[in-house]
Amino acid sequence: MTHRRLAVPVLVAALWAMACRGDPPPPPTPPVEEEPEMPDTAGQGAAAAAAAAAAAAAEAAARRATAVATLTETVYFDYDESELRPDAEQVLRQKVEILRGSPAVQIRIEGHADERGSTEYNVALGQRRAETVRQFLTDFGLNADRFAIVSYGEERPAVNQSNETAWARNRRAEFVVTAGEDQVNPPGGD
Amino acid sequence: MRPNTRNGCDSQRDEPRPGGSIPGAITSWWLIVLAVILAPASGLFEVGAQEREFPGVELGLVYENGFAPAIAIRPFTGRFGGAAAAAQVEAIIARDLRYSDRYSVMDSIPPALAGGDGIDYTLWDRLGAVWLLNGSVEGSGGGGYVVDLQLHDIVYTQVTDRGRFEVPRPDDPGFRMAVHRISDAVVQWTFGEPGMAASRIAFPMTRDDGQTKELYIIDADGENLQRVTNHRDLILSPAWSPDGSRIAFTSYKDGPALIYERNLATGDEHALNIIRDGMLLTPAYHPNGDVLAFNIQGGSRSGLFTYDVRRNCCLTNITEGRRIDISPSYSPDGRRLAFNSNRYGDAVPQIFVMSSNGGDAELISPYRYGQQGYYTSPDWSPQGDLVAFHGRIERSGLYQILVARMGERGRLLQLTSEGNNEDPSWAPDGRHLVFRGDRSWGRGLFIVDTGTGAIRVLVSGMDVSVPDWSPALPGG
Repeated sequence: MTHRRLAVPVLVAALWAMACRGDPPPPPTPPVEEEPEMPDTAGQGAAAAAAAAAAAAAEAAARRATAVATLTETVYFDYDESELRPDAEQVLRQKVEILRGSPAVQIRIEGHADERGSTEYNVALGQRRAETVRQFLTDFGLNADRFAIVSYGEERPAVNQSNETAWARNRRAEFVVTAGEDQVNPPGGD
Repeated sequence: MRPNTRNGCDSQRDEPRPGGSIPGAITSWWLIVLAVILAPASGLFEVGAQEREFPGVELGLVYENGFAPAIAIRPFTGRFGGAAAAAQVEAIIARDLRYSDRYSVMDSIPPALAGGDGIDYTLWDRLGAVWLLNGSVEGSGGGGYVVDLQLHDIVYTQVTDRGRFEVPRPDDPGFRMAVHRISDAVVQWTFGEPGMAASRIAFPMTRDDGQTKELYIIDADGENLQRVTNHRDLILSPAWSPDGSRIAFTSYKDGPALIYERNLATGDEHALNIIRDGMLLTPAYHPNGDVLAFNIQGGSRSGLFTYDVRRNCCLTNITEGRRIDISPSYSPDGRRLAFNSNRYGDAVPQIFVMSSNGGDAELISPYRYGQQGYYTSPDWSPQGDLVAFHGRIERSGLYQILVARMGERGRLLQLTSEGNNEDPSWAPDGRHLVFRGDRSWGRGLFIVDTGTGAIRVLVSGMDVSVPDWSPALPGG
């Protein structure tokens, strides 16, 4: 019995000791890459150049992907409104920057409404929302021909539930890249 | 044949007897609007509380006082091979008369009571019947049947109407609709008003793939559900042509929102290729069947337009301005148009009426500046100056089916109070409305009778959208 009576306090002490060790030890520092001695063979120089180019290409692809994500980011609207909120305008300005530098890119703006109200009126409201977005973008000098518009009203909800959270996420304009997705240039040049 | 005033009967009818046009009938009921008599199904409704929300607007659930004259249906007999069809014909007629919400139907009468060849008027009077239907179904040489029907007036102890109706065999696709036309004749004989049994309702509904919406049609009695289109995309806003031969609707099949016209008999469909950009929404036929009114939204032009679909020409703009003018509905004489407009703001769409050529628009929904009234989806009754629409009455945000009487601004008839209810469409009898409703158990299509307030479910638990009720469908 004494063993058992000791076991718990010992166990607790051990756990306490482990817990009170403090922060986990910092991760080991990565080894410093020593500059390898440069043998003057052309093969090894080409390999290093190829590696550097691949890294640059990967980084460019990542930045392009981020730019595409910004282009396709959804903006949201208030109930029964087609006017732009400040947060929507902010997102749209970021799209403008990218679109200015990516003349080949075309976008379809898709307007949506939440399920409340009239089915038919909501199609028209979704259209107005998409048009308001297009107007904002063209006011910055972008060509209106780059933006097609469609509205689905309440027919294509993003969230198929009937509550305030779902409704807020359904009142939206979505952006689909319809041309030039491989020629998206991140803002500020490549 | 109009019903006779009766001396010795139990009815409490001291108001004008039913007869004449529907607007006349409803006029007499406006007088008892505030004496709200509740149908059991709809639960409690506090008129007082809602009047506070809309000062100057009277709302009412209007119901008749529960009297429904009894019509007895003697078991139909069959001759020359018609016996097999007789029971079916009788059953369809009995149900149609129940669904008309005008009668108390006495059927399934035991043969011992039904009597022999003669009519025992005293007996039927004692049983409380006002009318008796006596029918026989005879095989005709061509493989179909002839239904021979007499309507007896029990008080005046005589046959007041009779008819012989041709119907095809029960396995013919036209059988049920032919029998429905007989039921509508009975309504015409007894009340002098059109019935709605020989009609159909078109509506979009999500199809078996769970994703896309197609156009479906169902008979007014809930039978014969059929899928009509195969667009595999999104279909909205069906509209029957006045002769019942075509349906116009919006489809996304070939890009955002084009209007198609479909011939139901041939299956031919064509799109209205009349604009380069923008969406075409909410078609509605002019009573002449040659012109469609609709909304163009977006593109270089927006608003309400008309187009001659028979001559394929003549696109005409009838409302102007960069706003939403949508969901037109013609008056029965085609001279006026009810429609939906957000000219007072995106959040407060209202119902307006204007000449069908355009011009000044008169507000008929109870909008007051600064209030949150939301009224959409007007439909003009085929029988008179009533416009049905849906609107937000309570602050809870649910919508109810409302009817406004032209020329009586400030008085609305409220027909629903439970759940969310939208998109009413009038039956050809000008008395019933089909609408889309959301209940705790899901979504469906419902039919409400403006006379008694009775509501029945037409389609339940399906993802249905805006319905449109056909005109009375002719034979052939």
